[in-house]
Amino acid sequence: MESLLDAFGIDVKLLLAQLVNFGVLFVALTWLLYKPVMKTLDERAAKIAQGVEDAETASEKAAQADENAAKVVKGAETEAEGIVSSARDLAGTEKSRIMKEAEARAAQVAADAEARAAETAAKALRDSEKEVARLAVLAAEKVLRESK
Amino acid sequence: MTGALTHLGSFFNMLFSTNVALAAAEASENAGHAAEGAEAAPGIHVVLKAEEVFNLAGFPITNSLIMTVITTVLLIAFAYTVRSKLAMIPGKLQAGVELLFQGVLDYMAETLESKELARKFFPLIMTIFLFVLVANQLAFLPGVGSILVDHAGAMVPLLRAPAADLNMTLALAIIAFLVIEITGVVVLGFFKYAGKYVNFSSPVNFVVGIIELLSNIGRLISFSFRLFGNVFAGEVMIAVALFFVAYLLPVPLMAFEVFVAFIQAVVFAMLTLFFIKLSIMEPHGDEAH
Repeated sequence: MESLLDAFGIDVKLLLAQLVNFGVLFVALTWLLYKPVMKTLDERAAKIAQGVEDAETASEKAAQADENAAKVVKGAETEAEGIVSSARDLAGTEKSRIMKEAEARAAQVAADAEARAAETAAKALRDSEKEVARLAVLAAEKVLRESK
Repeated sequence: MTGALTHLGSFFNMLFSTNVALAAAEASENAGHAAEGAEAAPGIHVVLKAEEVFNLAGFPITNSLIMTVITTVLLIAFAYTVRSKLAMIPGKLQAGVELLFQGVLDYMAETLESKELARKFFPLIMTIFLFVLVANQLAFLPGVGSILVDHAGAMVPLLRAPAADLNMTLALAIIAFLVIEITGVVVLGFFKYAGKYVNFSSPVNFVVGIIELLSNIGRLISFSFRLFGNVFAGEVMIAVALFFVAYLLPVPLMAFEVFVAFIQAVVFAMLTLFFIKLSIMEPHGDEAH
């Protein structure tokens, strides 16, 4: 065994040196290389995940906003339709009311005019009757005078 | 050519105040003095163990240890560079690193069936992979194995593939082994985990448990020798090819070795992961029968 170890140059001092060497390398690489690189990888992964999440929420929000806008537009449209139809109704009733009023007024005006005409005619008749009577009286007086 | 190399040698000599030469120069020099003895004969330089380059207060600094330290320093420098440029919007380097990490982490989470556990074991698996990969690939740089220095009268290579030293692969194997066993104990609890290996419910289960225990300990050997064997064999193969035909022939072999170096890094990391998964699995006990 001794000669075998000697043949391969196994030396406890060298073995220890190699162990220490690897230990130093292990610690140095862990601190200098693995931890910082892993940290960077983790940070980037977190950032990407955050970015993806943000994009998702943003697109969700956009979709929601779109939906909201559509809803608002639809509401406004129905409302406008309602307003127009009610205005149209209102206009219709107003129109008929105005027409009725105008008709009524026209009828009244016509009736008034007729009544006044009738009154004027009656008055004229009365006046003419009075005149006729007076003329008749005058004529009678004349006749009477001539016959005298 | 040899003259230039000799100049380079004297430059290194100035730097390190030790005798430095290059393998080619050394070989041709040795060829001249072949009569000096078998030791100095030109040939393939194959040594099973990493050689000591210099001694630091009783501590033997081997050529593989030097390469290991270089690998570590390079990796830490790389980590520092990446971290200093870290940003939310990644550059090319960061994107590559992130791609690798994310892929490995996903695969681990799939294997361990837990994101949390994958996060916990990721540093270990990744460090094993990066360390073995970079250590293996650096060994293909020119100069590794070919720059020689004088140590105690003999010329030894200044640099050697880290995984071509059993100390390094055994250290990795010990770490993997300890992590695997401790994870099993922590996740399952000591008695449940021990019950996987020492099981008196039936003679068959007892024998199966003992075999599993032995295979667990055997992992130390399989882990360390797999990596060592692959890298060392690759080095020897290239050295032999270089000895026969110095130009062009080694190219496909080296390309293949680059691939092997990568595969071995993947295998070491993946096996560690799989054994961790095995150790945290509930023992398939009585309900199965």
